[in-house]
Amino acid sequence: MIIAERKPISRILDMIEPYERVAVLGCRGCVAICSAGGDREVEIVAAALRLARKRAGRPLSVVEETLVRQCDPEYLNGLEELRQKVEAVVSLACGVGVNLIADRYPDLRIYPGVDTSFYGANPALGEWEEKCRGCGDCILDLTGGLCPIARCAKNLLNGPCGGSQNGRCEIRPEVPCVWHQIYERLKARGELDRMMKLFPAKDWRPAGHDGPRARVRDDLKVG
Amino acid sequence: MSEMKITILCCHYTNQATAEDFAGIPARIEIRRYPCSGKIEVADILRALEEDAEGVLVAGCEKSSCHNRSGSLRAEKRAEAARKILTEIGMEPERVQMAFVPRLETGVLVEATKGLFETLLDLKHRKEETSS
Repeated sequence: MIIAERKPISRILDMIEPYERVAVLGCRGCVAICSAGGDREVEIVAAALRLARKRAGRPLSVVEETLVRQCDPEYLNGLEELRQKVEAVVSLACGVGVNLIADRYPDLRIYPGVDTSFYGANPALGEWEEKCRGCGDCILDLTGGLCPIARCAKNLLNGPCGGSQNGRCEIRPEVPCVWHQIYERLKARGELDRMMKLFPAKDWRPAGHDGPRARVRDDLKVG
Repeated sequence: MSEMKITILCCHYTNQATAEDFAGIPARIEIRRYPCSGKIEVADILRALEEDAEGVLVAGCEKSSCHNRSGSLRAEKRAEAARKILTEIGMEPERVQMAFVPRLETGVLVEATKGLFETLLDLKHRKEETSS
């Protein structure tokens, strides 16, 4: 899922400084699951903004709403009514939601209440780890299911860099060297020959270096 | 009589204190009871402050005797999260305190409330000194 983290309240206060009526808009997708932008976080952010503004002598009216998803137009219909009530919206969705709303409602002032961080797993309560970079050219079949793009600080494709020590990354020793892990895994499976495959220089265009990525499937389109 | 308002958010099992028990504290004490202190959310703490409480005491069972095993530990983390938010918006984090109290021992809860009252009084005096 997409992992996000709430921005500091002081930063959000700066964004909405001119306004007296705002909405805090949550999303029940990824950001709810990673506890950054679901119903509960909407309540917290809204209460914190009201409290701060009350203390500053400029009370703030806050509408609290959470959509099923902000990355899907069918769930955005209620925004038409919401924008009549408020001067600005603080979205706690990932950047996808903020962008889609900005695309579809050019007159609506929408601000990000979270920083969108990475695609990650949730190995334990309160912990998230990056596992995929969305590079558009998956090679996990050759690396024992472990991604050297997302999990190697240097995105190396042909083995470790030489700086790793005892299976740990030289950049952050608490991080395992993924190429060490890949080697150990393939060795245990008797598949070390996969390490002999040389990857040519990676084509980063599918990773987004060729501009914004889009995908169209005619079989799913209506009309 | 001070106008200071203190809100106590507490576990239903923790105490059955009444206004009489807090008569020795010159503040308006509001008690909001929850089925378990683990049900107390960060937003509940912030809302209490929004509603003019100068301080909030979150009270749960002693760590080893929570009726729901870990409710008071959750409450402690939420009190800490609320304190962090107060710091972010320039408020004193000491306004939110956590107390672990033995079940039905009202005296311990009253003492914790007194402690918070004194902290708030101290904050008030410091503020007055700074502004004078």
